[in-house]
Amino acid sequence: MGSKHRIQITVNEEEYDLLVHPNKTLLDLLRYDLGLTGTKEGCDEGDCGACTVIVDGKVVTACLVLAVEADGATITTIEGLHKGDALHPIQQAFVDSGAVQCGFCTPGMILTTKALLDEIPNPSEEDIKHYLEGNLCRCTGYTKILDAVNIALQQIK
Amino acid sequence: MKRFDYIRPSNMNDAIAALRENDNPYLLAGGTDLLIGMKTNTVRPKCIIDLKSIPYIDAIEYDSGFKIGALTTVRDIEVSPLIQQKIPALSVAAGTLGSIQIRNRATIGGNLCHGSPAADMAAILLAMNCEVNIAADNGERTIALDRFFTGPNSTVLGNDEVLSEIIIPKEIEQFKGVYLKHGPRKAMDIGIVNIAVLLDADVNSGLCNRIMIALGAVAPTPIRAKKAEELLNGKSLKPELIQKAAEMASNEAKPITDFRASADYRKDLVKSLVAEGIRQILEPNRD
Repeated sequence: MGSKHRIQITVNEEEYDLLVHPNKTLLDLLRYDLGLTGTKEGCDEGDCGACTVIVDGKVVTACLVLAVEADGATITTIEGLHKGDALHPIQQAFVDSGAVQCGFCTPGMILTTKALLDEIPNPSEEDIKHYLEGNLCRCTGYTKILDAVNIALQQIK
Repeated sequence: MKRFDYIRPSNMNDAIAALRENDNPYLLAGGTDLLIGMKTNTVRPKCIIDLKSIPYIDAIEYDSGFKIGALTTVRDIEVSPLIQQKIPALSVAAGTLGSIQIRNRATIGGNLCHGSPAADMAAILLAMNCEVNIAADNGERTIALDRFFTGPNSTVLGNDEVLSEIIIPKEIEQFKGVYLKHGPRKAMDIGIVNIAVLLDADVNSGLCNRIMIALGAVAPTPIRAKKAEELLNGKSLKPELIQKAAEMASNEAKPITDFRASADYRKDLVKSLVAEGIRQILEPNRD
């Protein structure tokens, strides 16, 4: 029972052809099989957002996606956000505004911010808070994270 | 998670056949309830049947009334311009479920079939007098949503049946609605009490033509507060009558005490929130 399935996925613009057991989550695939440890395991039940990745253009919690479900999908993890040496504007904004303390929530926060700014070009404060609801931070109290989002918003305009 | 077989049928007939032919099979839609159940060993499937490759059940159709495929994501319902325009209370309810990450995966069908009395899609759809289509081996059957739920996490779905579509009657578009979900947070919570009110009233005279009131998380299933509705249908919505109906709705609720709230608190909440819901519809600009 539970024999492996072949899946083809594109992660950060690289194509992978893999054999996986059905009971492996996308989170474990990314971290253990592909070595992309920027995506973090917080709660493993979709409640904290630390494992947020972008799958086919939408933010999801990778802990609640089976790797086999992602066959054929295009995935962006935090590692795929910048090209070359320069940080993505959102990453730079998080650095500049002091929104990174322990850093554990940061990859998920940044990817959700990216999805927000892609989807809602001119978000209100309420829009931003509503969009980021699924990403928890135990360190910062969120204020500087919201500052970072606003800075990134100005940069990207 | 324990090991299981994984099947991804490309059509509904194959999905139903897979349900019959496999041992302890579970259907997978968005996975936001199922995977948690598997990780905590609350459920132990030997076989997972992924519904996401079945055509024609993941979109919102409109043709004199909405037909929503069971695999439509809650996020798609939340942001649908047509739903926001014609039956906005459904979009509001959808937006209260989990987080954006969850809503991008969770499906309207999965939310109903998981059968929690607190399901965010259940109360609002119950108030909307929906019907659901269920695919079975010998064809399709249609039942009213208020006959769908049989108990906590229990529905009328047979072992080889798949919920395929949710049908919302066109007349709902002439109602104004609210969805109130009470809990300690604005997001990422299961409601302590959920209230859905749909009202067709003459706002000037306060005459109620028809009202539907559905309650979530206060009974073994989501329920309609039908006695409260009877008090109000065809009547003038004076504050004392609204209060009386709210008390009646509270009496119709049969909540339990759990770690989220006591039964008494839930009954109190039903009373205040039903009244509040009706007031919000009658006076939308009141602060």
